[in-house]
Amino acid sequence: MLGEIGDFIVTEVSVGIFALDKTYNVLVWNRFMADHSGISAENAIGRNLFELFPELPQKWLSKKIDSVFVLRNFAFTSWEQRPYLFPFRHNRPITGGIDYMQQNATFMPVRDADGEVSAVAVTLFDVTDAAVYQSMLKQAMAKLEESSSRDGLTGVYNRRFTEARLIDEIGRVERYHHDPFSVVLLDLDHFKQVNDTYGHLGGDEVLRVVADRVRGVLRDTDVFGRYGGEEFLLMLPQTNREGAMVVAERIRFAIGSETVQFNDTEIRVTSSLGVAVYVPGSQNVEEVKQQADEALYASKRSGRNRVTFYEASQAA
Amino acid sequence: MTAELLLSEDQRDALQEVTNIAMGQAGARLAQILDTFVHLSVPRINITGSAQITQAIEHMVGSGASITAIRQSFGGTLHGEAMVVYDELGCRNLADLMGYEDDMGQAQERELLLDVGNVLVGACLNGVADLLNATLSFSAPTLIAENAGVDRLINTQQLTWNYALLVEVRFTLEIRDFTCHLLTLMPEESIIQLKNALDTFMDNL
Repeated sequence: MLGEIGDFIVTEVSVGIFALDKTYNVLVWNRFMADHSGISAENAIGRNLFELFPELPQKWLSKKIDSVFVLRNFAFTSWEQRPYLFPFRHNRPITGGIDYMQQNATFMPVRDADGEVSAVAVTLFDVTDAAVYQSMLKQAMAKLEESSSRDGLTGVYNRRFTEARLIDEIGRVERYHHDPFSVVLLDLDHFKQVNDTYGHLGGDEVLRVVADRVRGVLRDTDVFGRYGGEEFLLMLPQTNREGAMVVAERIRFAIGSETVQFNDTEIRVTSSLGVAVYVPGSQNVEEVKQQADEALYASKRSGRNRVTFYEASQAA
Repeated sequence: MTAELLLSEDQRDALQEVTNIAMGQAGARLAQILDTFVHLSVPRINITGSAQITQAIEHMVGSGASITAIRQSFGGTLHGEAMVVYDELGCRNLADLMGYEDDMGQAQERELLLDVGNVLVGACLNGVADLLNATLSFSAPTLIAENAGVDRLINTQQLTWNYALLVEVRFTLEIRDFTCHLLTLMPEESIIQLKNALDTFMDNL
């Protein structure tokens, strides 16, 4: 009686259950597996798993199954790293937004009377619902993070976010030996006069237009943030001195090439820029920002509306 | 520390003996999986108060280093949690030995960390369990730290136990640059069960 109940549960439970021998031949194949794969128990049992499902990653999966036999150990797969083993349809074809049933699998050693592993039993759980919820949660978190990382006026990143990205990038350069990145500090020339002459609404319009013009010349990977009143900071990943000077010059030109339209007046805007390169191992965030700032100051001193690269001698 | 938690000298010797034998077997079995000789250090056994746990782990795996780690629960006759702590190289050097292809994304790198951790935990703990006539089952491993400090492994603000048994084994591979530490942690009530199992083991010798 107990055996019958056990058989009934294995067959009918809405969890995938199957078992394999050492040569990956199927010993058990329950209804869940049959229904979802379209391969009945009669057609599966006695056949090799990798012949039944040629698309399975055999090298990796056979290693995993072998480890259960040799180590008498459990083994696992999780949808978070590997969304599915078998390309099964899931039960949210309309609302799911996911291609195949997301699966967690547990591989268990079946021991015989001598303690040796005679088979591997596998349970396959449909975790599509959990995956859908998690991806919804991730989207919500990303939106939240996005809105808390932007400057309200210009829509570019805020200072906190920009600095965090600088620190991330230093970590990447140091850890993975990526190429150095460049930092550009940008300050609008005589911005106080703009505010005094056209009021804060005029100043705000200038900041918005300038941000748009800068965005227009940047690459996707560049990070562009508002740093203070009329000061902006750019982080250009994997960009050396020459590359950074080209980008900075393009930015300077884009900002000053046209006037900014405000009500009935045209406001002329120019910018001064300072450029520094992060050299791995020798600097921290503060130091590279300081260098860009000194270069920016040199641009201001020598007449504004220009780009200066940081030279160590300037510091003296 | 209450006396019932302390291992007697005989029990301690027996545990050292059991873990030594089990690690030898684990090394031989892992060699079959990884096709290379795996060196396991002599297990270090400690009973640690909850306030000293981070310090004890730092003493074993080194402090100040950037580590990546997985954890896994085991239950049955003995219960507790195992951690596998990797250095900054992680498992990248083991990818081909575990059946992974060359071009691995972040998900595959994480899966590899979990796969390797699971194999090391299983090989060692199943060996100990077999010698002690214990049965174990395991939960799926999860990642608990990526390039973080050792102090991130255990949140010492939230511990519900006073003492734990900590067993550490260090793994190295002969042909690849790879090192990691296996930490097995069992809370108070599991220590008492372990003592009973050790007594039975000694009676049967």
